[in-house]
Amino acid sequence: MKLIWKLLRRHLSVGQLVGFFFANLLGMLIVLLSLQFYEDILPAFTGDDGVMKNTYIIVSKQISAVTTMRGEAQTFTEADIRDFESQRFTKQVGAFTASQYQVYGSLSMGGMGIGTNMFFESVPDEFVDNKWPTAREGEVPIILPRSYLALYNFGFAQSQSLPKLSEGVVSMIQMDVRLRGEGGREVNLKGRVVAFSTRLNTVLVPLSFMQRMNQELAPNASSAPTRLIVEVKNPTDDAIAAYIQDHGYELENDTLDAGRATYFLKVVAGIVMAVGLLISALSFYILMLSIYLLVQKNADKLQNLLLIGYSPARVSRPYQLLTIGLNALVLLLSFMLLFWIRSLYLERLWEMFPTLSEGSVTMTILIGFALFVFVSFLNIVVIRRKINRLTPRFKRLKGGLYRTINGK
Amino acid sequence: MNTITLHHTLPRVFRGRTDIQSDIWQQEVTFERGHLYLIEAVSGTGKSSLCSYLVGYRGDYEGTMCFDGRNIRELCTYDWTTLRQRSLSTMFQELRVFPELTAWENVLVKNQLTRFKTEAEIAAYFETLGIAEKRETRLGHLSYGQQQRVALIRALCQPFDFLLADEPVSHLDAENTRIMGELMMAEAQRQGAGIIITSIGHHMDLPYEKVFKL
Repeated sequence: MKLIWKLLRRHLSVGQLVGFFFANLLGMLIVLLSLQFYEDILPAFTGDDGVMKNTYIIVSKQISAVTTMRGEAQTFTEADIRDFESQRFTKQVGAFTASQYQVYGSLSMGGMGIGTNMFFESVPDEFVDNKWPTAREGEVPIILPRSYLALYNFGFAQSQSLPKLSEGVVSMIQMDVRLRGEGGREVNLKGRVVAFSTRLNTVLVPLSFMQRMNQELAPNASSAPTRLIVEVKNPTDDAIAAYIQDHGYELENDTLDAGRATYFLKVVAGIVMAVGLLISALSFYILMLSIYLLVQKNADKLQNLLLIGYSPARVSRPYQLLTIGLNALVLLLSFMLLFWIRSLYLERLWEMFPTLSEGSVTMTILIGFALFVFVSFLNIVVIRRKINRLTPRFKRLKGGLYRTINGK
Repeated sequence: MNTITLHHTLPRVFRGRTDIQSDIWQQEVTFERGHLYLIEAVSGTGKSSLCSYLVGYRGDYEGTMCFDGRNIRELCTYDWTTLRQRSLSTMFQELRVFPELTAWENVLVKNQLTRFKTEAEIAAYFETLGIAEKRETRLGHLSYGQQQRVALIRALCQPFDFLLADEPVSHLDAENTRIMGELMMAEAQRQGAGIIITSIGHHMDLPYEKVFKL
């Protein structure tokens, strides 16, 4: 093998191979990077936020000057809900239940206290992704909108020189909650923040707790829901937007926009990946042309080897190993570059989407290997075919004649 | 392989010619294993073509050539590779050696494939042919006669039923011609093989059983 290599490495063009190497590296890197970036960024658009699935939309009735002046009800009737349920894009509909009593929440930290009037709302338990933890006696679990915390941290705390709070810290702080209902009846509780939601713009408590307290503190009040939470089959479905517009409803979250953004992300990632594949294909041609040239220049030596008894397979092997080695090196280096670049953009990404879960790299690695295997296989076949052509083969024609297929 | 037969073969370039007077072309010819043949030719009678056909390097002829009755046009790549490794050893007129390798490496290229001779046996050949001190010299720096001797050693480093030697001694002096003849005969006898030698004048003085005029 060493001697064969000594013979066949003659006329090897280092320049061409380096050209191939970098072209292929660039192509491979673009393909893998676009794939990985897509994997990593997709959850930012479509992912669950831990509380609410991405297939949930929140619908309310439009509030405008006209409706306010007319005193029209902004609540949903039974008929509205049934109609929504009967739409083909709907999976299930749940109503928001609002508290019928006053809620006062206060926090005290290191001698300082902040308190505010607030409200509670509930949705059916099946719409809450991570199920409510079982509450201790005298304690109520609460899910807060993430924007509230941001509002405090970047708006309030900043200007009042108060400490900024992380989600973890907030979860550890107990809130004093005072509920005041009809006839001045009061209930004092401890509130504990168990989760934050990006999508749900309300202070959420368990439905069972809500029903019990409404019963206890406001037994005579009853109210129709002002907001609905709807699980849809496909949030990008145009029919949803049309239905909502026709009925004068409003969407509260950005699920539908996310659907469109996802679509564009797919298109852009697809285009970038196609460019990467194109570069890879072109670099493959460079390599093949280079090897063709090499085989042509070394044709005499190759022929001599074949004529003294070497098989085409054995003579092809040095060139095949060379290409496989180059491909493997390209793969390895593009993986390394990929992970390096990924660590750079993940940092930025986490700044923008702190809750973003890290996408998987398995797919990218698998695709990288698949590309490597595919390209190497093509290399092997093409080199072998080229070398097979160095000796003549015949094809038997009718009448016992033979036709030369290749060679002399 | 026991027989090589030629049935009315003729190089395609000679097609249509009526003046061909040959013991080989357009004849029924049989070479048998274990026998010694000489094909004498003058320039331009198709001697190199004949050798090229027999090693499967060219196929531009009419008629049929058979190894053990099998038309050699039907042999596949694998068949040819096996034949060239085990049954048919060739000393090419144009040598087909590798000038960038040393004399020793040129022989090793073949012997590594067949693993037929020991290093000691190869060294003994170098000694006998008087090129022992040229072992590590790049072949391109040797004279044509010396290269011919290396090519012979290489041809002997494999099992064969036939040894096809195309003008093996064209550049050798009388003494080396004699030594080469002896080495070839000894190896062929050891293996029970046949030898087909071509020549355009100067040839080895061996007990040929049949001489063909091409």
